[in-house]
Amino acid sequence: MFRDYDRRLFLQLSAAGVASTALSGWMRVLADNASANTPTGKKHKSCILLWMDGGPSHKDTFDLKPDSKGAGDFKPIKSAATGIEISEHLPKIAGLMNHGVLVRGMSTPEGAHPRAKYNLHTGYREGQGGLVYPSLGAIVSKETGDPNAAMPNFVSIGNRSYGAGFIGPKYQPLIVQDPAKGVEDLKSAVSDQKFNTRAGLLEQMEKAFYHEYQSGATIDHQTTIDRAVKLMRSKEAKAFDIASEPAKAKEAYGSGKFAEGVLMARRLVEIGVPFVEVNLGGWDTHQDNFTKVKNLSGQVDTALSALLTDLKDRGLLDTTLVIWMGEFGRTPNINTRGDKPGRDHYPKAWSLAMFGGGLQGGRVIGKTDKEGATVTDRPVGTTDFLATVCEVLGIDHAKENEAASGRPIRIVDKGNKPFTKEIL
Amino acid sequence: MRFVRFLPALMFATAFALAMPVPAVGADPKAEKQAQKKKAREEAAKAAEEARRAEELKQAEAAKKADEARRARAAEAAKKQAAPPGKFDAASVAAFIDAEVGKKLTAEKLDPSPICTDAEFLRRAYLDITGVIPTAERAKTFLDDTSPDKRAKLIDELLTDPNYGRKQADVWLAKLFPRESNNRFVQPQAFHTWLAGEFNSNTPWDKFVSILVTAVGTVDEHPEVTFFLANRSVDKLTDAVSQHFLGVRLSCAQCHNHPFAPTKQAEYWGMAAFFSKVNAQNPKNPKKGNDNSDLGVQEGKGPTKAKDFFPESAKKVSAKFLGGPEPKLNAAEPYRPVLAAWMTDAANPFFAKAMANRTWAQMFGHGIVDPVDDLIEKNTPSHPELLDGLAKQFAAGGFDVKGLIRGIALSQTYQRSARPNGSNKGDSEFFSHLSVKQMTGEQLYDSLQVVLGADRDAGKKAQNQAGKGNVSPRDRFALFYSAGAEEVNPTAFDAGIPQVLKQLNSNNARIAAAAKSMTGTLKGEAAVEKLYLTALARRPTADEAKRLAEFLAQNPTEGPADLLWAILNSSEFCMIR
Repeated sequence: MFRDYDRRLFLQLSAAGVASTALSGWMRVLADNASANTPTGKKHKSCILLWMDGGPSHKDTFDLKPDSKGAGDFKPIKSAATGIEISEHLPKIAGLMNHGVLVRGMSTPEGAHPRAKYNLHTGYREGQGGLVYPSLGAIVSKETGDPNAAMPNFVSIGNRSYGAGFIGPKYQPLIVQDPAKGVEDLKSAVSDQKFNTRAGLLEQMEKAFYHEYQSGATIDHQTTIDRAVKLMRSKEAKAFDIASEPAKAKEAYGSGKFAEGVLMARRLVEIGVPFVEVNLGGWDTHQDNFTKVKNLSGQVDTALSALLTDLKDRGLLDTTLVIWMGEFGRTPNINTRGDKPGRDHYPKAWSLAMFGGGLQGGRVIGKTDKEGATVTDRPVGTTDFLATVCEVLGIDHAKENEAASGRPIRIVDKGNKPFTKEIL
Repeated sequence: MRFVRFLPALMFATAFALAMPVPAVGADPKAEKQAQKKKAREEAAKAAEEARRAEELKQAEAAKKADEARRARAAEAAKKQAAPPGKFDAASVAAFIDAEVGKKLTAEKLDPSPICTDAEFLRRAYLDITGVIPTAERAKTFLDDTSPDKRAKLIDELLTDPNYGRKQADVWLAKLFPRESNNRFVQPQAFHTWLAGEFNSNTPWDKFVSILVTAVGTVDEHPEVTFFLANRSVDKLTDAVSQHFLGVRLSCAQCHNHPFAPTKQAEYWGMAAFFSKVNAQNPKNPKKGNDNSDLGVQEGKGPTKAKDFFPESAKKVSAKFLGGPEPKLNAAEPYRPVLAAWMTDAANPFFAKAMANRTWAQMFGHGIVDPVDDLIEKNTPSHPELLDGLAKQFAAGGFDVKGLIRGIALSQTYQRSARPNGSNKGDSEFFSHLSVKQMTGEQLYDSLQVVLGADRDAGKKAQNQAGKGNVSPRDRFALFYSAGAEEVNPTAFDAGIPQVLKQLNSNNARIAAAAKSMTGTLKGEAAVEKLYLTALARRPTADEAKRLAEFLAQNPTEGPADLLWAILNSSEFCMIR
């Protein structure tokens, strides 16, 4: 008989003891200055997704084919993992390859940027069944995040991201446009004292409104304000302030927004944020592929190696899965467009890399032919990959979430073949 | 015909006749009417006087009395105006709603909450009908108005406000224009304006939907073709048309037979066949100097060749009406008019019901069938006779959308308080009291303009200024607020931390400036009253006025801004009670 909402309200009220105490002291946080945050209860793995926007060329990064027709300018170098060679422009990563797994058998259905990004983030085709699907970050936030934590469970740094879709705005990422500036609207525009005064007025209004209308939406509203204020006041929010990082540690990540974003990601994971996405654009190299990829590889090499080293030093590498990927690969052949040739979109065969997360490093999943054009062994589709990520993070990907219409939607669609056993 | 339930027409006719007020026969109508008016004025003035002194609950009781008197008179007046046969009779529909809802409340042993206060009604009607809060001036004139039919007058006023069309356009644009990457070069503005115009001129819903479903031409001359530009494949068109206009979610049946409903794949592709000849041009990137205004939609002679117009899963079957027969189609003629004629026929089992239910849900926060676009057998209506009756009357009355909203808004059911009582506290299904709804992003944006910018058209202006850009500041705010959720539950608060942080911390300078200009030289209780009227469309209670006046006395410079900040972050502001 309960509608969804009432059921939720009922649970909230039960959790709070009885209805009447649900409200008392809801802004208690205001009283304690710089509240000591409750440590996140369950220990879970975190995930950092380094999103290579535009689609990085697999043949110029992690799947080099020096003897092929479209081999390109770059030479492969040996890595710390026996038998794995990667681009000469990723030397520091090469030194850490014993902590990494390469998936060289990626083969996915979409070849246009937005549709491919959507597919790789959500596991579904855009528009499928008339729904907007949650992205990986939103799923992790819902499944492993502490709903009462002061810190958000999904942070997305730089550029746009894919959000919570039908599972609702609560699982939407907190977006940090510019890591140097931190979180938008996180700081109160007025003094702490004034903010407390204002919040006191607000609390009185909320109590009166709840008393009269007994609407559960009011409790949700208060809970969300409470969490936002907690975040404003929390010590943990300092994780967003990369300026407080020692100069030397900061330098190790290199310079630029991406380097700053990766550094912020490490700071966030350190305090228990389960999912952070960091964006690096510029991989859509239809023209001038080799200059651009060299430059981007340099940024990735510095920041990612610094991240892995820091995580290792802090004992967090086994509990933090770091994924490096874009929306597809690039053509095995070099195009003849203009005087600075490039490579075009190529979803049929491409590579991604995973590090840490308790994985057995130094392994390769899948294989392409000698041109890097076709997957000849162990092709990995979008759902195979996302199901694997879920399993590594301890999420049951067969679980169903309910769309507004009551339709049950699996976290990852049926028919997936995860490769978790081969790497964990 | 397993999918179709026909109305028991006779049963309906009986129920409706019983609910109809008997026309009054007066000896001297003019004198009687004046006397009535005078009497009513006295009564209402008395009632209003009592109400002002009484606390809010007592006020509600008084309003109920005045309201009943007013309703009787309004019904009588409506009869005298003698709506021509076949026209929608809002007053008797209101009475029908109350009778049907009343029956169910009795059966469920639920006491309805009393009629709401004028202040509650004012803000609720403004937000539900025009999507924005009233100005302080309008709030004051309405609250001080002693005429007994002021609620009915307000409803009429709001239905002629251009913001009515804008609000409906917001609701329908979200359904008809999916915000997805395929549509990043399609401009929504002209379509939004067209939708707003059609709602404002109250184009009968059957004609409205016919125009939309059969649209051909360029965006410039026929902005309604945007619907096809934004849904450039047979499956998207089939999903959208059946879900939004027929209240049936067919999308599952695209790939497999519906798990809960007898919707087979054959039904799906039978409907899809009506769109098989639609030729919608592919919009180009406007940043590269493409003016998409001459893009168009035509219906060709054979199946459309455009890339991806037919998904891989498409099945070739004869065109078939949902749950109905297969019409004979002439391949040389366009197919869509045949579909539109079937859809919008008064006898169509889905069309009127879907719109009646949707409109109801807009006003009450949940449908008589809920979810609103799932009118399947297993998803039973809470009030089957009410839904059937509303749909029948909507169809028979010429698909008058404003009339339908007027009818609902005039009902006691809609005018009940959102305060639950001991008996109906747990009810969220039988309309014993109004549900508290959360504002949509658009409602919040526009209402913040009223308070902070004191500019009712700011949203619209921003939208115009956005020009070629796909996303206006108003759109951006709304998208940020809903965060792309499929359909938010209007009776829950679903916004997250980023949205709340924005509300808490981003408007400080505007709040300070607005509070200053709002209160001006006003002091104490007068200043409190002005802030409350502007943001909450009500006067403060005696306790609030006293307490907050003391606060302002202690904080003479920044007090008004502090108070306005608290109000704008409160549930009372961002929700519709």
